[in-house]
Amino acid sequence: MTSITRDDVDRWFAGNGWQVFDFQAAVWDACQEGQSGLLHSPTGSGKTLAAWLGPLMRLGHEADSALRVLWITPLRALANDTAKNLQQAIDALGSPWQVGLRTGDTSTSERARQKKQPPQVLITTPESLSLLLSYADAAKTFRRLDAVIVDEWHELLGNKRGVQLELCLARLRSLRPSLVTWGLSATLANLEQAAQVLCPPPLEPVLIRGESPKAVDVLSIMPETLEQFPWSGRLGIGLLEPVIEQIEQARSTLVFTNTRSQSELWFEALLGARPDWIGRIALHHGSIDRKLRQRIEQGLRDGDLLAVVCTSSLDLGVDFAPVDQVMQIGSPKGVARLMQRAGRSGHQPDAVSRILCVPTYALELIEIAAARSAWQARQIEARVALRLCLDVLSQHLVTIALGSGFTADAMLDEVRQTYASGKLFETHWGWWIDFITRGGQALAGYPQFQRVVETNGVYRMTDRRLSRQHRMSVGTITSDTAMRVKWMTGGTLGTIEESFVSRLKTGDRFLFAGRLVALVQIRDMTAYVKRAKPGKKTVPRWQGGRMPLSNELSHSMLALLQSFRCGDPMPDELALLAPLLNYQQQVSCLPSETLLLIERCKSREGHSIFVFPFAGRLAHEGLATLIAYRISREIKITFTLSVNDYGFELLSREALEFDESTFRRWSDPDNLLDDLFAAINVGEAAKRQFRDIARIAGLVFSGYPGSGKSTRQIQASSGLIFDVLTRYDDQNLLLDQSRREVLDAQMETRRMQDAMSRIATLPIRIVTTERLSPFAFPLWAERLQSQIMSSETWRERVAKMADTLNRRAAAS
Amino acid sequence: MSGALEVCIADEALLLLPERAIFWPARGALLIADWHIGKAAVFGRRGLAIPEGDLQHDMQRLDRLLSIYAAEELIVLGDLMHAPPLATDHWPQGLANWLAKHAQLSFSVVAGNHDRISAEQLPAALAGRIDWYPADRRVGAIVLAHEPEPLADSYVLAGHLHPTLRLTSGVDRVRSPVFWFRQDYAVLPAFGSFTGGHNIRPGRGDRVFMTGPDSVVEITPR
Repeated sequence: MTSITRDDVDRWFAGNGWQVFDFQAAVWDACQEGQSGLLHSPTGSGKTLAAWLGPLMRLGHEADSALRVLWITPLRALANDTAKNLQQAIDALGSPWQVGLRTGDTSTSERARQKKQPPQVLITTPESLSLLLSYADAAKTFRRLDAVIVDEWHELLGNKRGVQLELCLARLRSLRPSLVTWGLSATLANLEQAAQVLCPPPLEPVLIRGESPKAVDVLSIMPETLEQFPWSGRLGIGLLEPVIEQIEQARSTLVFTNTRSQSELWFEALLGARPDWIGRIALHHGSIDRKLRQRIEQGLRDGDLLAVVCTSSLDLGVDFAPVDQVMQIGSPKGVARLMQRAGRSGHQPDAVSRILCVPTYALELIEIAAARSAWQARQIEARVALRLCLDVLSQHLVTIALGSGFTADAMLDEVRQTYASGKLFETHWGWWIDFITRGGQALAGYPQFQRVVETNGVYRMTDRRLSRQHRMSVGTITSDTAMRVKWMTGGTLGTIEESFVSRLKTGDRFLFAGRLVALVQIRDMTAYVKRAKPGKKTVPRWQGGRMPLSNELSHSMLALLQSFRCGDPMPDELALLAPLLNYQQQVSCLPSETLLLIERCKSREGHSIFVFPFAGRLAHEGLATLIAYRISREIKITFTLSVNDYGFELLSREALEFDESTFRRWSDPDNLLDDLFAAINVGEAAKRQFRDIARIAGLVFSGYPGSGKSTRQIQASSGLIFDVLTRYDDQNLLLDQSRREVLDAQMETRRMQDAMSRIATLPIRIVTTERLSPFAFPLWAERLQSQIMSSETWRERVAKMADTLNRRAAAS
Repeated sequence: MSGALEVCIADEALLLLPERAIFWPARGALLIADWHIGKAAVFGRRGLAIPEGDLQHDMQRLDRLLSIYAAEELIVLGDLMHAPPLATDHWPQGLANWLAKHAQLSFSVVAGNHDRISAEQLPAALAGRIDWYPADRRVGAIVLAHEPEPLADSYVLAGHLHPTLRLTSGVDRVRSPVFWFRQDYAVLPAFGSFTGGHNIRPGRGDRVFMTGPDSVVEITPR
């Protein structure tokens, strides 16, 4: 056929009554010139066609059977819908192309068919792309590849999946130097960087801005009086009634929660209050069986569902047209996230996106108001790309050794093209080659860690068993060992973290996938359950849900508190909170951007110091650890540390004497990293982090599917492995990485550093309170998840605890 | 040695050591349980990377104890090994070399559930060097066993459970291996460096001794 022209596209658009947006034309033009780039817009429509029609217009008339365009999606659940959209354009424009899917769900027969007759377009995930590169015919597969389109790039940027994709793209560019790369992204503060990471030099990516943002209304569902509203809590079920009213008034509602357990509880509460909604509302989260989730998504699309309670599992994806209302239960956590969720409603052109926020406790009302004002000022979060993920690099090297093989110098040049590994040192490189060929220093004795073999300068993986294991381990998504949850009578409900199940006894009841079930038995990594009668129950605690309040939101909160103090006009949320904020001012003072508030309070448990830097829970964890460590260096003391998004608490048995200058010494930003390193070595954090790293780097094989208990035991022992490695191979770069990741990711050292530099310039206000203040109270309530920092000897601590134990026994 | 703690059981004085071992002065015997030698190798075969330095480390710990207490006998209360050795495993030779260094030491094992071999099936390097007791071994009024089961007329010393205890108070918490002394039997903590643990719930009348970096502390609720 003749090539597809802009006129063809215009005719197709006109025929559907669509208009070509300027940004779409801009992307098409850039693509025509062989340029790469990033297209970003805060919400939905038109991005897919903008990216897709570029390559289609350029190449869509060439009918030969070879892969020409790769479409990368972060979510395999999106693949089917994307395929439909792409195929629709192909058919409308008369191209002979075929769209293929390649994800973890693709059948072996389909894969074989793709090999025999490659589709021109392949939709895949970063993990499946990596797998494609692990086959010996990778060079042949991609020999005519012209373009890669990365959908929802912001979801990959900033995590290890993104790093894996960077490395894969570098490989593809080695095979096809003229490759064109386009990314689609939501709005970020660091779009330049997002583009640079996706299209590193020598590419010069163009940045194109999508349609201007739809108007977004951020509203709060507020309690009638503040008195009924708790000072702390995570559930917010007190606002059930107004939430039900709102759901009734809309055609279809998405109810977003921050954690899976919260979604379970809300779903149960909604059904408890409205039994007639059975079948009309549904629950959707990542642990629920995929088939069930797909049915729910179809129900949303068809407009059959009144409401779906969900987690980030529905943050992404194709729009559900009937959804006309979105709710957010609990803290919005970030401006971009809240806006993304808001964008899931109101898809009629020019409609206003509305998000109704449901606070779970009093102070969260400020967060909601803060999110609104930050959005109005367009203060949106950045996603910072990761550097030097040596575990991902290790996996990638083995993948390529398994695929086409590599020579050391060429491979080093190739990986250095990526942003993540751009600063890789020669010495590290040598360590890695040693690690994958010999197992490194500590593992040299084991044949199974001689994974890659060098012959005439070419590194390859040849062992069949190891190859199989490696292919099964490709990917960087890690989680606690998942256990299947099944009915005794057959049928799967979903998966659940093994650490939760292991704490249950037979007969224990828990909420799962919206049902109350009782544990019958655990066999072969499967928890068998039956329906349970109502009664005492627990809710699974899934991992995750520890996302910190963003910097932008914290600043916006402090700014609001500041204007409250100055008596400026207030949004409704703060007007309602006024009595509580006034009380805070009366017993202490309001946290603000112009001073650091420290409260001291004595309670039955001991002496508390509450500090409110407003740097997000992760940075607070770091700050609390650091300050506790510095104090414990000066005197013998044991602390319990608690953190939340507003501040942290140091609780000790003995009263601690300090004043402003003492505290300045403790919070001095100098030597931050050294001290933190020393403090963390005392703690357990690095050990926890190591588990994922070991899996990604191929140090641990997480087992064949259904291989059962032995694998579980191996996973549980990762702490011991860490100890052993620390003892015999402390120079192991993976240990080093786990420590670094604890600092960067788990404690957000950058925010810590910023907070400490800020504190150094602020006046410090130390207030002693009789009782817990409204800001201290949630921290006190958070204490269940606390950790310990101590400079007392083990013997002293145990003796004191035994003493407490005995006093408690004597009292009872 | 400081840090150790003395208890009296069935008219025998026993010294509980922070190294998770018992010294029995009257018999000049050092008692340990659940060494689990070769666990790293077993994990290694399943694709898990663990350096094999632990056996060396554990032997050094024993060297120290044997010399401090001048013990004449070393008794393992079961689970000497994590799994029967394969021909390719290095540890039987390593253990044999270590035993050769302690030529005067009598070394006996009460077989545990992980020691799934008989005396005859011991690797050649160790054959004849280990007094292998397939079941409980009586020594005066005390019975040495692997699994803690009460016996009618004796006090039992056993292992098997890898007991640990979790302590908490308002501001602090800690979890460590313990010696768990009950009415009819006592359970030793696991000796091996590469072993896990199970939290116990002591009952009334139990005595619990927690092992720490350099001392043993009694945590018995009064």
